[in-house]
Amino acid sequence: MVDVHALAATLDGAARDARAVPKLTDTAPFDVPTAYAVQRELVERRIRRGERLSGVKMGFTSRAKMVQMGVDDVIWGLLTDRMQAGASADLSDLIHPRIEPEIVYLIGREVRSVADVESAVAGVAVGFEILDSRYEDFRFTLPDVIADNASAARYGFGAWHEPRDLSNTGLLMEIDGRPVQTGSSAAILGDPARSLRAAARLALGAGMALEPGWVVLAGAATAAVPLPKGAHVRVTGAGLGSAEVTTR
Amino acid sequence: MTSDIDAAAGRLLGAYASGVPCEPVRDLIATADDAYAVQDRMTERWLGEGRRLSGRKIGLTSRAVQEQMRVDSPDFGMLYADMAVPDGDEIPAGTVLQPRVEAEVALVLEHDLTHERHTVADLIRATAFALPAIEIVGSRIRDWDITLADTVADNASSGMYALGNRPVRLEDVDLRLCGMVVERRGEQLSSGTGAACLGHPLNAALWLADTLVRVGRPLRAGDTVLTGALGPVVPAAPGDVFEARIDGLGDVRVAFGRADQDGEVS
Repeated sequence: MVDVHALAATLDGAARDARAVPKLTDTAPFDVPTAYAVQRELVERRIRRGERLSGVKMGFTSRAKMVQMGVDDVIWGLLTDRMQAGASADLSDLIHPRIEPEIVYLIGREVRSVADVESAVAGVAVGFEILDSRYEDFRFTLPDVIADNASAARYGFGAWHEPRDLSNTGLLMEIDGRPVQTGSSAAILGDPARSLRAAARLALGAGMALEPGWVVLAGAATAAVPLPKGAHVRVTGAGLGSAEVTTR
Repeated sequence: MTSDIDAAAGRLLGAYASGVPCEPVRDLIATADDAYAVQDRMTERWLGEGRRLSGRKIGLTSRAVQEQMRVDSPDFGMLYADMAVPDGDEIPAGTVLQPRVEAEVALVLEHDLTHERHTVADLIRATAFALPAIEIVGSRIRDWDITLADTVADNASSGMYALGNRPVRLEDVDLRLCGMVVERRGEQLSSGTGAACLGHPLNAALWLADTLVRVGRPLRAGDTVLTGALGPVVPAAPGDVFEARIDGLGDVRVAFGRADQDGEVS
């Protein structure tokens, strides 16, 4: 029998100490529903410390990643207000951060059904997600990464724009002015709107609803790259302006 | 040396003629200049046979491919009118050896580009319009076992190309951040954006314009320039149908014929 609270405590400690731990399934295997229970408890620990839920992030939204992980559905994690990066992000409390360009949706009203989600979108933006696996060498199985809140660490976004078709939007990520990744939002399940619907589906399935003011990070348009300290990162999306962060 | 260049050209032409890929030619040629000399030998021959030059293709435009090939410059090959297919057309099996497809921005010129050095302004003024394109690359060299010298000699691994039908003026499209997808039966096989092509497809075209003046075959009004892939290349099999969509530029399709009655494919 897996102790959900103990596993959550291990991951929470790893994040707070910025020290990687061996993947949990090395000790005892557990299934995906248990993994989400660990994730929920992990986030509850944050909420008990005064953090507020601020949105959800979607993972494994690219075909390549799904094939690599041997899965056929996306995963999700929960975001809190403490994870939102300002113009500057302190990386000293992260283990081995990586960054990737994202399409971000702003939820304008509570989403009561999957069919409802697109009409509930109040804005779209280009953004970034800073990932930080709490596992050694970023190595994990599917239940491990779900338990670890889908490697969520930090996120940010640029100015909100009117909702629009984002099925094939070009994205460019630069570090210190040099291009490091290029891609299309089409890499996100063929259309990030599919990822948005999946977010609504998974939230409803977990007895939650996407709330007004929440953001949905729809998934990465390119592979993540290691994020050094002292770097200026800019993600630009066609017609969406850019999102920037300087790390320290 | 001249005989080696002739021998390399002969080996590649043999592969074209027989439909059987040949060994690499890098044992015969050492430098990129030698490789272009081989390409030029074939160009002269083909022009002599009456093929009409319709443009150029630029290759090795992505950072990943340049790193893989250990080069820091793109390359170019010749496009002929008989290599162009209309949107949606089927290419008979075996027409292109070891075919792969990639989505690109095509530029169609309305003025010559004959300066020793061109500015972006020169290029924009010379461009009539852009079109979405699928380039069907191929290799006459067995298993795509190529170095820079091999691919340059082999006409930059060019094969065929399909152009979309709706011209778009440069001011109406963001060629740097246009999203690109390639699909087969609704399955996404490649995605990317304009910045993947040397930062901007016009950067690649500028390199080409200057380079071609240096080698004495400048770009002319009417030429089509395939500027380089916007994302990863996709292998093509008999029977495949591909669709490429470039945001702001439109879409274009190409089909590959099934194997012929002998079941023979290339």
